[in-house]
Amino acid sequence: MSASEDELRVACAGARSELDPGGVARKFGCARLLRSSPAELARLGVPAPLATELRRSDAAGAATWADELRSRDIECLTASAPGYPPRLAELADPPLAVFVAGSRLDLLAPEGPSVAIVGSRRGADAARRLAHDLAAGAAAAGVTVVSGLALGVDAAAHEGALAAGGPTLAVLGTGPDVAYPRTNACLFNRVREAGLLVSEYPPGTPPAPWRFPARNRLIAALADATLVVEAAERSGALITADMALDLGRDVLAVPGWPGVSVARGTNALIKAGAGVVEDVTDLLAWLGIDAPRAAAAASDDDPMLAELGRSPAYADELAARLGMTPGAVAAALARLEIDGRLARDVHGRWVPATPGG
Amino acid sequence: MIARAVTFWLSGLVAHRLDVEAHLHRGVPSFVVVGLADRAVQEARERVRSGIGSAEYEFPSSRLTLNLAPARERKQGSGFDLAIALAVLAASGQAPGERVARVAAAAELGLDGRLRPVGGALAIAEAAGRVGLDGLLVAPENAAEARLPGAVPVLPARDLRHAVAILEGRAEPVEVGDPAVAPRSPVPDLADVHGQAGARRAVEIAAAGGHNLLMIGPPGSGKTLLARRLPGLLPPPTISEEIEITRIHSAAGLLPAGVRISERPFRAPHHSASVAALVGGAALRPGEVTLAHRGVLLLDELPEFTRPALEALRLPLEDGEVLISRAAGAVRMPARCLVVAAMNPCPCGHLGDGAVECRCSIPRMTAYRMRISGPLLDRFDLRIEVPRAAAHGDPGESTTAVGPRVAAARELLAAVGSHHLPEAEALLQRATETRLLSGRGAARARRVAATVAALSGRDQVEADDVAEALSYRMELR
Repeated sequence: MSASEDELRVACAGARSELDPGGVARKFGCARLLRSSPAELARLGVPAPLATELRRSDAAGAATWADELRSRDIECLTASAPGYPPRLAELADPPLAVFVAGSRLDLLAPEGPSVAIVGSRRGADAARRLAHDLAAGAAAAGVTVVSGLALGVDAAAHEGALAAGGPTLAVLGTGPDVAYPRTNACLFNRVREAGLLVSEYPPGTPPAPWRFPARNRLIAALADATLVVEAAERSGALITADMALDLGRDVLAVPGWPGVSVARGTNALIKAGAGVVEDVTDLLAWLGIDAPRAAAAASDDDPMLAELGRSPAYADELAARLGMTPGAVAAALARLEIDGRLARDVHGRWVPATPGG
Repeated sequence: MIARAVTFWLSGLVAHRLDVEAHLHRGVPSFVVVGLADRAVQEARERVRSGIGSAEYEFPSSRLTLNLAPARERKQGSGFDLAIALAVLAASGQAPGERVARVAAAAELGLDGRLRPVGGALAIAEAAGRVGLDGLLVAPENAAEARLPGAVPVLPARDLRHAVAILEGRAEPVEVGDPAVAPRSPVPDLADVHGQAGARRAVEIAAAGGHNLLMIGPPGSGKTLLARRLPGLLPPPTISEEIEITRIHSAAGLLPAGVRISERPFRAPHHSASVAALVGGAALRPGEVTLAHRGVLLLDELPEFTRPALEALRLPLEDGEVLISRAAGAVRMPARCLVVAAMNPCPCGHLGDGAVECRCSIPRMTAYRMRISGPLLDRFDLRIEVPRAAAHGDPGESTTAVGPRVAAARELLAAVGSHHLPEAEALLQRATETRLLSGRGAARARRVAATVAALSGRDQVEADDVAEALSYRMELR
């Protein structure tokens, strides 16, 4: 009996009993779980439904189960299987198995660097825009963009990578066949087609609040560095950053204006020593890629952009500062927005869009 | 003996002719009303019996059958009393039958025989003129209103005896002065709003072009304050508009006696309003959209309105009229009003508010936004964000300064129309390509751009006008 066969049997028993066998498997080993009597399993603290499935399991049944998943284009990779990402093994509590769906299995151990881009789900327009542009820039340079397919910054990061035609990997808090939140269903399909979906939960697992923080450790583990774009004080993105730190990976953060609630998390990271990322060049430098900085002159030729570069403003403030009529300001802002040179920050104020994203 | 009197019944805002036939024949004394009459009409029997007695006429002591024709329509209201009484008197030879059949009567009867005013007198007078009757007997309180359209000789009478005397040519109608103009409510001044230059500009454009306006901003940013100043910016209604407005308010029973309305209505229904209250329908009476005809309808806290109410508003907003179908019939009512709506950016109201942090969960926020459907959102040409104003904002221009600009722009738009310069077209084209502006969205932006140009006194629409118009199409993030 090989180790990977045992793991597959335990993973299969876990999927059938809808209980996570990872904890007990790490503690006692798969072989022991499979060869213990019911009384022994109960003594080890294995829940009864899982124990029943463990007793019932056999190698042939588990192989059939894996084949059936494969027919649905879902691969089950157990810890000792050849395709299991070595980076996950660095975790203190690596998943017993990961379920992957998508075309780019190579993204689990990419040749080039990879970066996790995470942040607030209710990210402001400008934060999502920045995440999008940073992801696009990184993906264009061959960096794998890892994120969690959540709303806001996560989704923007995947979108950016896909827009640049680059690799992207999404770690889910649900089964690899469950698109959550539903509003991201379209993005879910696009990532599966052009990138990879990864989950430690078997197919069909519904969303649950505790699964998302757990998923964050996989995001941190699968990337060389974790970049937090926007995060309040208690944010899931900070959990990811903590995990990355535990793994000895780089933690990067986009600085925010002091006192703005959604910048407190990222600014705290910077105070604790996180790398500062303002644009793609910064990000790529942290990943060991030299890239020329985009010409920053673009924002200076327009007086309005120059003014917004000094500090973000509502249209009315801008009109007062520049001595323009409200109508003229509205017209100028609309033109700049159509050209993609403006975005709104968390307060709805106008800010220059990041140049050369 | 059979006698006939003429009156009118209201369906929506339109009065329809109603013939009251009275037949006296031998038999046990009784009084029967046939012809799909509602409860108020059935009760008319007792008012008419007392009214005739109080006027010292004799109520016939034989079998009396009353028919309301056409019999197929379900009639409601108390305005048929006078006609019923006159038909009874004519049938019993106490009133001149030919005159009764040629002069319409629209009044309620008191137990003492006095005439009381009815709703919809303006519409009834128009209808009486249309069917070519010789006159219209009304209560003195209704006289001024009934004379507004000048459609038919209006004969105000004090009581039943006076009405009969007028018909017999023995008495003159009551002297009634010209319709008093309803006292103007004080118009709040635009100068009361400090700061918010951008939002004030949008309000000015809305007034000039008649564009529906949606304001999104945290509580206390001045959305409602601004909306209430919009009616003051509109030019006063024309005479024919005044008649339309008066007709609607009269039909809804909201018109004080002897008064005509000479200002644009401002209606602000609460968000708990039912579908019937908003678009009309309860007993085929006009709803808020119709009451706001030629004026302003403010929908504060837009997402708090019920979903059916919001969806029911879509057609009136597009077509400028309401079609209500009920068992009692279908009626069309005008609803050409300027809609101003206000909403918070999220349920707690603090999303994007610099001062207070938003505590709404994402599903709640999504649900809040989803209440405003895309098609409804499309009906708002101007969608602007109203951020919390700086406390030290300057007082802006007053209503008396902005009003003339609005009036001039309206005249320009009505007289010469406008045409777009090539650069303007090019910008619009680019916006449709890059910003997912729908076909309808582009058409609306084009109209707003024309208004912006008109406010600068130009009939040529320049690229900057289009750019400004595009800036007022904020998406719900």
